[in-house]
Amino acid sequence: MMLQLLIGGLATGAIYALAATGFALVWQTSQTINFAQGEFVMLPAFFILAAVSLAGLPFWAAILVGFAVSILVLGVLFKKLIVDPIAPNGVLPLVVATIACALILKESVKEFYSAQAEPFPALVPTEYLRIGGAVISVQDLFVLAVSAAAVIALHVFLAHTRTGRAMQATAQNPAVARILGIDVGRMILYTFVINAGLAVVASILISPIYLAKFSNGEPIGLAAFIAAIVGGFNQVRGAILGGLLLGVVDNFAAVYLSAQYRGAIPLFLLVAVILFRPQGLLGRAEERTV
Amino acid sequence: METEARTGPDRAAILSIEGIVAGYGKMTILNETTFDVARGAITTIIGPNGAGKSTVFNAVFGLLPVRAGRVVFEDRDITNLSPRRLLDLGICLVPQGRNLFPELNVRHNIELGGMALNDTRELSRRLDAAMDRFPVLRRKAEAQASTLSGGEQKLLEIARGLLLEPTLMLIDEPSIGLSPIMVQETFAILKGLRAAGVSILMVEQNARAALELSDYGIVLEQGRTRIADRAGAILGDQQLQQLFLGGALAGDAA
Repeated sequence: MMLQLLIGGLATGAIYALAATGFALVWQTSQTINFAQGEFVMLPAFFILAAVSLAGLPFWAAILVGFAVSILVLGVLFKKLIVDPIAPNGVLPLVVATIACALILKESVKEFYSAQAEPFPALVPTEYLRIGGAVISVQDLFVLAVSAAAVIALHVFLAHTRTGRAMQATAQNPAVARILGIDVGRMILYTFVINAGLAVVASILISPIYLAKFSNGEPIGLAAFIAAIVGGFNQVRGAILGGLLLGVVDNFAAVYLSAQYRGAIPLFLLVAVILFRPQGLLGRAEERTV
Repeated sequence: METEARTGPDRAAILSIEGIVAGYGKMTILNETTFDVARGAITTIIGPNGAGKSTVFNAVFGLLPVRAGRVVFEDRDITNLSPRRLLDLGICLVPQGRNLFPELNVRHNIELGGMALNDTRELSRRLDAAMDRFPVLRRKAEAQASTLSGGEQKLLEIARGLLLEPTLMLIDEPSIGLSPIMVQETFAILKGLRAAGVSILMVEQNARAALELSDYGIVLEQGRTRIADRAGAILGDQQLQQLFLGGALAGDAA
């Protein structure tokens, strides 16, 4: 039973981790706090469903279309049309703009596609394995495997390619990156593109389980935000740890605590971290030089 | 006493600042600043705080818009070109303070100085050469850059700046936060660069030590060039020093 809960929690947590990782990356390189991150995870599933139902594409082709459209809209257009014009005005106006984005995306799906919870095809059959005394869902293992692959691919890119290191450099010290001739604007664009890519993966993984619904963005966005802060906003590793932790804690709370208090647990975790370790579990304490 | 001075024997200038006007927001810091930087020599800009010393670097290196005037490098107008273009042309900037990527290791920090270089094998070769030149960097190649001492970090920044084999290095107050011994070591490295044919334009607060190292000195005050002369002449002229530097050169630690 415990093992089942753990695996199930890790699987959901892995999806939160993907969303939190993109969230943290975007913050680190461009000081953008993306309050539409949840909607970014909600939306690609609808691009894919629309490609199937409206354009009659087979599922695999629809996924490719989903990737392409998401990267264009949630990556490139988001950066050029929303972030670039508003960012010079400061962090807070940009935050408000992303909140507005979230509302627009959510209501658009509700208005123009469906207010219902739509089923989303799973990429693996709904089967169960018996390991020891526990019953493990193949779906959960698939989610863990794909998430792990995405995170490893991201790590390899960031740590072992010149462009990836240039992106890290831009996040750590954009002023110096500029002096070395690094195209800071382009590095930031890549971050948004990567975030969009991670959102698509998360969307494809979560929609078969929880169905695709316009309102899915809220809980996912909140989870991504809390996971990033709990893990350490300045570290991608922190976002991953935060996501996994949140998924596991939430799953155990659902079973061992009343359903009413389940929703409060992530928020308790958030408050506790802010009070006792504001830099997050893996974060470094931020020092300001005076 | 000179204002807008451009004295001294005719010298081949690698960089000419011609009447540039620049500032931050509504403030104008550089008021038609004009001076030449000699080829193959070390030129130091000194002057009181707020005189515009670092602002000159920002203006030359494309980090601050030049509102009027020109910057000429090797007979080519480079006014308001981007840092990337200037790196391609052979100018590098080593800014004031600590300017590293703290979480990357030493090797990757130096390597990022070569972003403008597309030939990865050549980049590898130059990275090796840089670490041979400064053995302490090779020893600490895998260490996180933030663990280096102040002097070692400045060495890293210089090594990084040299990756693209610049002909002109702009270096801003390299002595800040360094022990006197490290300052001498850093200055020795600059002498070595000059011997290798790199022209150096330096801003320094530690005026006496810098002028003792340099061939030429430029005194900036309120965004204007007050003195431009051989460094030795400035060091020897007490009256000049009193007038423009408030006797700042007297009794400076070397």
